[in-house]
Amino acid sequence: MGETVGNLIGLNDEVIHSVATLAVEAHNSPSKQFLVKKIKIRHDLSSVVVLAFSGSMLPEDWFGQPPFGETEIDTGKFPSLTSLNDGGDAVVNGSFLRRFNDVLDKLSHAKELKAAIEKKKQVVFAGYSSGGPIAILATLYFLENQTLSPRCLTFGSPLVGDRIFGHALRREGWSDYFTHFVMKYDIIPRIMLSPSSTEHKQILNYFKSKFDKKNINPAPPSGFYLTVMGKASSVASYEACHLMGCRNPSLDIIKSFIELSPYRPSGTYIFCTGNGNLVVVKNPNAVLQILIHCAELGESNTAEVEKRSLDEHSAYLSELKKICSDGSPATATLNDLGLSPQAMRCLQAAEEFENRRLRNLENIGKYMKKIEVELKELRKYKENAQIRRVGYYDSFKLQNENDDFRANVSRLELAGIWDEIKEMLKEFELPDDFEKKREIIDLGTEYRRLVEPLDIANFYRHSKDKETGAYVIGGGPRPKRYRFIQRWLEHREKKPFGSRSESLFWADVEQLGIDIKKKGYLQEIKERIQQVERNLIAWIGDRSLDDDVLLENSTFVKWWRDLPPQHKPESDRIKKLIGE
Amino acid sequence: MKRRRMNQVPLFSSAGELANMLVTSNLIEAAWAKIPELQRGQSALPSSVQTMVDHPTPNSTIVVFAPSPDSTQYPHPQGGDLVPYPDFDFLGTKECPSVSINRAALTLFESLKNHLSGLKTELNKKEGQLIITGHSLGGSIASLFTLYLLNSMGKERKCRPICITFGSPLIGNFGLQHSHWNSFFLHLVSDKDPLPTLFLPSGRSAPTSSHSQATAYKPFGTYLLCSELGCACFDDPDLILKVLTVAASEVAGGLLQVVDYGEVLRNLKNRAICKGPQLAGERFAYPFSDGIVMELKTIGIDAAKHNIDTTRMEAEARTLAKKTKASDAKELNDIKKYMVMLEWYKKKSNEANKCYYDCFKNGDFQRDVRIEEFMGQLTTYWEDMVAQAERKPQEEGASFRTAWFQSATTFRRMVEPLDIAIFYRDGGRDYINNGRSPLYKLLEKLYEEAAKKPTREGPDSKNKVSVLLTDDSCFWAHVEDAILSCQSLNHANSTPEQRESSWKNMVEFGEYVTKQIENFSVSPEIFLEQSSFMKWWRMYEASIDASGNFYTSPLVNFMKSHKYDDYGLPEEA
Repeated sequence: MGETVGNLIGLNDEVIHSVATLAVEAHNSPSKQFLVKKIKIRHDLSSVVVLAFSGSMLPEDWFGQPPFGETEIDTGKFPSLTSLNDGGDAVVNGSFLRRFNDVLDKLSHAKELKAAIEKKKQVVFAGYSSGGPIAILATLYFLENQTLSPRCLTFGSPLVGDRIFGHALRREGWSDYFTHFVMKYDIIPRIMLSPSSTEHKQILNYFKSKFDKKNINPAPPSGFYLTVMGKASSVASYEACHLMGCRNPSLDIIKSFIELSPYRPSGTYIFCTGNGNLVVVKNPNAVLQILIHCAELGESNTAEVEKRSLDEHSAYLSELKKICSDGSPATATLNDLGLSPQAMRCLQAAEEFENRRLRNLENIGKYMKKIEVELKELRKYKENAQIRRVGYYDSFKLQNENDDFRANVSRLELAGIWDEIKEMLKEFELPDDFEKKREIIDLGTEYRRLVEPLDIANFYRHSKDKETGAYVIGGGPRPKRYRFIQRWLEHREKKPFGSRSESLFWADVEQLGIDIKKKGYLQEIKERIQQVERNLIAWIGDRSLDDDVLLENSTFVKWWRDLPPQHKPESDRIKKLIGE
Repeated sequence: MKRRRMNQVPLFSSAGELANMLVTSNLIEAAWAKIPELQRGQSALPSSVQTMVDHPTPNSTIVVFAPSPDSTQYPHPQGGDLVPYPDFDFLGTKECPSVSINRAALTLFESLKNHLSGLKTELNKKEGQLIITGHSLGGSIASLFTLYLLNSMGKERKCRPICITFGSPLIGNFGLQHSHWNSFFLHLVSDKDPLPTLFLPSGRSAPTSSHSQATAYKPFGTYLLCSELGCACFDDPDLILKVLTVAASEVAGGLLQVVDYGEVLRNLKNRAICKGPQLAGERFAYPFSDGIVMELKTIGIDAAKHNIDTTRMEAEARTLAKKTKASDAKELNDIKKYMVMLEWYKKKSNEANKCYYDCFKNGDFQRDVRIEEFMGQLTTYWEDMVAQAERKPQEEGASFRTAWFQSATTFRRMVEPLDIAIFYRDGGRDYINNGRSPLYKLLEKLYEEAAKKPTREGPDSKNKVSVLLTDDSCFWAHVEDAILSCQSLNHANSTPEQRESSWKNMVEFGEYVTKQIENFSVSPEIFLEQSSFMKWWRMYEASIDASGNFYTSPLVNFMKSHKYDDYGLPEEA
């Protein structure tokens, strides 16, 4: 509190106002896809390069397929916008994505942008109204490509992506690059929370004729507020139920009968009260609740609020002028938004949800020590087995020694902890950046490489493949905890999904042994043998697989020796590894 | 009264939010819209309730029940008693095994049974969304029909059903809180509507009607309770009953008026995007109880005046909140871990040429203390699972049990011998009648029921015997009793009658063991030199030899010829 808006978001007040001016100008210049402007900063003589995108009020540029026009994002262009557990890829508004794709080519070749990258100048992507989504996607595109760290400023922008979209942004640590200005009653930032309807078309048509300037004073539509905000309120109530830990068993059934918008806010929101004050909110759950609750009807009648919800969409420049011009601190408290007790309770729940995630993280911190202790034990177990010249994989499979039993208890202990973590992640019960934390990925990877072979040994020791099929098949018996942890590493290393499967070496070997007995040397089997050989060479090479697999009497060596020579294309190199 | 709960995580009540989500969606409106439509149409059935089926979209079906326009809107208050209805005993739980239904609703349901049975067959083929809805007594029929339909659909439901009633009276004595079916019911009740409380004691029922019967009514499903000022969703049966009773006492004096739920919904929809009444203070110190008080106030109930116990509800919510998918995952792995510990104990004992049963009974290993701890954990876990199943209606409880009864059987076979060991170590006699816990009895019963059904897995080859646990978890109790009988047989002071009875016991036990051996259903560990079973055999053999009567039996032959040396070994290929 008591900061200027510029301080709050790390940009000069003056710049913000200039950016907004350009954004509005760009929006109303549909002939150009975007406008570029260099803004000089008076006090330090530096400059920022602003790219602002044009908008469109055509309904098909807002809503494709009804009711919500959403589509899965192209992970080729946006590889990070996905869930690293089972949540799937991010979903975005298809029309906005299409418009972004239309501008991308021209944007990548824009000489001003190239120059800015070269000179390492601060780049700002900006958009007003439907220009906002394009600015958001452009910013993400360049963040993904790591060519620059742009800022994104939007004014009265509609929502673009779903929960996974926002989750991925926060996981990557990009959330702070995005700042969205929203007027207290502006209908446009809320519009995507309700399904496409005739009311939407009326609203868009109204703005279209207003912006086209063919008709200075088009007649505003009326009677839309209840429909649009009612449906949007449904989304906020549903999310509030989750934040509040609603245990009513009907919740899921009810949800399957109603259409809820998939879109959710992400990034930093700045709510403008309309009297020069503003409220900065970063908690995405709180943003959603405020979006709905601050625009609720109070003393004033519906028609009045309805009119305001249209008028305020055109009020950003004058509001920002109030906020930015005098350099006086922007006092910001929730009180200025005039929220009801119900709304305050929702915000309290949003805050508590965040606290819960932090508490969970703290508990995991305690687990980390336990994991380390167990892993240490298992490393010792592995070393001891190696001294006896039987790899720990084979020793565990035999289950003859005291140590094997203790290792099995450790295995289950660790499975309990990681399964708990896995379930928490699926329910978003841990901070969004959990799966990006270096120490977590490292510990997870060590766990996966050391312990998954034990799970595989246990699986094939009890011939579980007869009940469930091979250990490694999509969605099959392989415990999901390993799949998730593997994904974290692949994501960090920017490698394709499935490329870091060194912990599956033993499963490949075991299953091949079984399949050869069953089917003989089919072409498919021959290819798999070759793959195992190559994987072995590569993984031993990069030390992601330990050389105890090469011990004289290991399941692998025995199996490999028994293979007919003509089916061992990498024979020479492997013999060398074994030490023959 | 309120204590500061410093270390407790705040909980929230989301009754208002859930209600808001419902009224701002189209679901309830769409259901209600069909009711006047049905009442405008021709009466097709010679009954006071009419019904129709409609398909708003190709992938959705709506079934509507409404009072015939010509019938009187209100059932006679005298129809408020509960009648046992064995046809619905599938809803019975351990606590409430026989189901009773409100007489008025039941009479109507029975009179429509032919029609409903045909409808049921038709709906069983449907896919997609299925809404079953009804107003007043029509709502009671909608509820009964939904239950009837759910029961016939079994586990493989093709469609997604939901039952939405408007101003319907309570219909029965059964609760569904522990059943998945509970989530399919949504009841809308306006505080102006006298109908839902018609059969409650303080309602309009004639003072002559039996109080105890009237209070036996149990609400189930979620209630969306509404007033002029707003709405809230509750699923706590005690709270719902309380709210309905309070409402009943307040409407009782007034005139019977027909509530237009369409109007109620329109008002609530407008309210949903309005700021509620302003209260002092920004934050809630006790978000759960303060929230419930606020939500009750919205629907016109003064929590303090009517003694509503929010503490109990908060405590229940707290218990529920602790149980998450994450904590379940942890628990499951812990249970596996304890079983591995016990398996290891068995293995270690066998390596020392002993049965784990005997090792435990004699306290041979130091680890035994922890074994009791694991037994305790495992027993608590399975007791909880059994209790959960018992709270569910029969069918659902049965399928819930099917999911875990294999693991439960392994648990029984592994752990019951240890309980038997404790029993006899402490000087008990006749474990099966004097010491066996209800948990084991129940698990065994389940196993026997399941064993009657044909399954794909028969007993595997005898090669697997060596890793198996003894099938009969009471095997050691039989052994102990046989040892006691044998002692009495050999005891100098025993009377001839005692000897005869003991001898008979021996023969019976011998036959029992023979059968177990023939079926390969005992673990080979029982033949280990120091086992209690071998101890019995040596005593038995001595008394046969001493009697000099050359008694023989299949078991005697088996044992004398040391055939057990090969028992359980893999067959020669």
